[in-house]
Amino acid sequence: MNLVIDDVGFTYPGGAEALRGVSLRIQGGESIAFIGENGAGKTTLMKHLNGLLKPSRGRVTVDDWDTREHTVAKLAARVGFVFQNPDDQIVERTVIDEVAFGPRRLGQSETDALANSVAALEIVGLSDESRTHPYDLSASQRKLMTLASVLAMRTPVVIFDEPTMGQDARGLKLIGDIVEELKREKRIVLIITHDIDFCSAHFERVVAMADGRVLIDGPTAEVMARADLLATTNVEPPQLVRLAQALGLPVAPLTIDGLIAALPR
Amino acid sequence: MSQSFSLYIPTNSGMHRLHPLTKLALVFLCLVLGLFLPGVWLSYATFALIIIPSALWGGVLPRLLSALFKTALPIALSLFLIQGLFWPGGTPILHLGPLSFKEEGLYFSIQRTGRFIMIIGSFLLLTFTTRPDELMLALNRHGIPNSITYIILSTMQIIPRFQAKANTILDAQRSRGLETEGNVLVRIRALLPLIQPLLLGSIVDIDERAIALEVRAFGRKGPRTSLLTLHDTPAQRIARWLMLLAAVAVIAWGIYLWLAPRFIA
Ligand SMILES: Nc1ncnc2c1ncn2[C@@H]1O[C@H](COP(=O)(O)OP(=O)(O)OP(=O)(O)O)[C@@H](O)[C@H]1O
Ligand SMILES: [Mg+2]
Repeated sequence: MNLVIDDVGFTYPGGAEALRGVSLRIQGGESIAFIGENGAGKTTLMKHLNGLLKPSRGRVTVDDWDTREHTVAKLAARVGFVFQNPDDQIVERTVIDEVAFGPRRLGQSETDALANSVAALEIVGLSDESRTHPYDLSASQRKLMTLASVLAMRTPVVIFDEPTMGQDARGLKLIGDIVEELKREKRIVLIITHDIDFCSAHFERVVAMADGRVLIDGPTAEVMARADLLATTNVEPPQLVRLAQALGLPVAPLTIDGLIAALPR
Repeated sequence: MSQSFSLYIPTNSGMHRLHPLTKLALVFLCLVLGLFLPGVWLSYATFALIIIPSALWGGVLPRLLSALFKTALPIALSLFLIQGLFWPGGTPILHLGPLSFKEEGLYFSIQRTGRFIMIIGSFLLLTFTTRPDELMLALNRHGIPNSITYIILSTMQIIPRFQAKANTILDAQRSRGLETEGNVLVRIRALLPLIQPLLLGSIVDIDERAIALEVRAFGRKGPRTSLLTLHDTPAQRIARWLMLLAAVAVIAWGIYLWLAPRFIA
């Protein structure tokens, strides 16, 4: 599975030019964090990958499929998308049915759909709530439920739009574990986040966006070292990187051990 | 997101530049003409002789007709079929195999369709050509309490808000494999799961709005400063009074026509 975004431009019907020529290649097994200030075009770009938006110019392909030639429902079998606001998707009366909604629509057998849903709920720690009404969950639990509902679809590509928002340390750790698990399964994981520490902890590649364009794209440590460029899209490098720079070290460490190793003895 | 929740179409026509109250008076006159007098054809005449020319002047006629067509057609069709065919004990005038259209049912359907077209048409005319904030200010200047102008304004925003919300929810479902593209049956089935999140979401919206209003001192008494200026002319002021007088006259005439036979009998 690979994703190709080829010189994509997109203008909303209202007139906002949200993407101005974005090109990216994403290989199977890659995990990428998308960062950048509000309105940079991150969500717009991700919506191109599952066909919710079709490029005004350029091309988006998911393996051999041009997104323009396939319906969103069909692309959903390849690209799972977790929306920012959980309340926009709740349709069923119990958590388990809500999670099984996607798998059932994708034509999984009832046994598979339920097994995948149970497994997904287990991963997000909501096994005890499977008979609860989704609206009786807390806001952060609802968010985790939407993660589960996309995990259960078992798509080769998974996109999360700001999953870390509103999560406490435990939720953060859980989402981090989910990302690691998906990486182990060699699925493509794409995430939009404003949590720069989360991004440097779990992602090898970072794409920083500004004003509908890709500002920098590269290995996390390299991107984080470009404090000057990141500042233009209102992103501050992680604390460790800033500390290393303040100390005049020539590295951009992403872990405490990395920083210690770089200290002169 | 920089979406605006209003149906306003920003162009610079004479209709757009009219004082909001002038347009409101025009719409009021249309409603009175179409609703207070007996007979079938007056609402059609109001639509054809006032609303259509005004929409043409405002440069919004195509949009108005297409919006009207989409809403009125299903309603008109169901009215004609149900009332026309199943009017209890009516006079049959048109035979269709074993079924027959009843005169009274058709008469009723023509009348209701006309009223519907006229009411929605004048509502659209006003919202397409009037900035909501200007209407609000105009009403406020004329001593209408904030709470009432707020109700008017939020009613004007209900349709676009619902539309935006419905689109987001539909996107979330399509992303989970719900097929929404295809024939009418597919589309109708796709809309069913929309209803619950739409209604619940709207209730949450109301709650949030109430809080937002409170923290912005909505209930505060006394005059406020506005950054908007409204353009009014003596001619418009006279026209408004004339339209109001005409409306009152029509109401009186309607009441007379209604009462007269009862008193004579
Ligand atoms: N439905 C829409 N209609 C019109 N314009 C839109 C719509 N959605 C987004 N935009 C505009 O497109 C641009 C990019 O928006 P987008 O949501 O992709 O940004 P983002 O990087 O995801 O921002 P955020 O961090 O706030 O989520 C913005 O200028 C935004 O106002
Ligand atoms: Mg976004």
